[in-house]
Amino acid sequence: MQTPNQKIPPHNHSNANTNRTLWLEMMRMREPQINLLPKKLKVEPEKKKEKRQKVDEDEIQKMQVLVSSFSEEQLNRYEMYRRSAFPKAAIKRLIQSITGSSVSQNVVIAMSGISKVFAGEIVEEALDVCEKWGDTPPLQPKHMREAVRRLKSREQIPNTKHKNILFH
Amino acid sequence: MAEEEDETVFDEDLDDGAGGADGSHGKRKRLFSKELRCMMYGFGDDQNPYTESVDILGDLVIEFATEMTHKAMSIGRQGRVQVEDIVFLIRKDPRKFAGVKDLLTMNEELKRARKAFDEANYGS
Repeated sequence: MQTPNQKIPPHNHSNANTNRTLWLEMMRMREPQINLLPKKLKVEPEKKKEKRQKVDEDEIQKMQVLVSSFSEEQLNRYEMYRRSAFPKAAIKRLIQSITGSSVSQNVVIAMSGISKVFAGEIVEEALDVCEKWGDTPPLQPKHMREAVRRLKSREQIPNTKHKNILFH
Repeated sequence: MAEEEDETVFDEDLDDGAGGADGSHGKRKRLFSKELRCMMYGFGDDQNPYTESVDILGDLVIEFATEMTHKAMSIGRQGRVQVEDIVFLIRKDPRKFAGVKDLLTMNEELKRARKAFDEANYGS
């Protein structure tokens, strides 16, 4: 019987080191090219796809080299970066409280994904602000608020509460 | 101390800006505190971020998810949220699309690996 990828050994919660090695192993697993977009968007010609796969492989290799050269603290931080996620149950409850009907698992996954990226954008911007103002890391609310203000001016934060009335 | 001042100002701001979907202001239970702390550390903040900052970020994320849900409900099939909302964001934000694509492919991969593992246990 053919297994497409490495088998994942059962997850062991007790030993942090085992977790770390298991996790690092997973990082080295190659990602399959699954197409999740609706059919109409699949218009890429074959050549472009091959080129994209080659670029992905290069990128994966570079990441592996980079990760293997991390210090302990950097490894910690990277692990937190990759592993942290919003609890699916809470996101699902939030979405369902708005739609009033149930949503599929993929939607919950997608929403947690974009929320995480969103949080990342804010934190990164806030860190920029913090550095620019000559402060040090634990981020303060004033940094966060300035970051939000900047992102809003770049329209990276959705806001449907304010209507732009063009001609009055 | 500066942070305490910020905190009182922040509370007033909270009522102004970050109103929830159902209109409840102020006392929103802290949905994501633990995960958000890990996330902020991962994104570059200190290992122990300030609680106020975590709260602000939590409210922002909830507001963001709410807005996205509303937008997704209004396009495509009305009143339902589907994976179309990912497509909806593609044209705007390449970063978010890459993040989501990674998550979904990881999920598929895990499902397949688990299934293969289970079958291996059953067979031979």
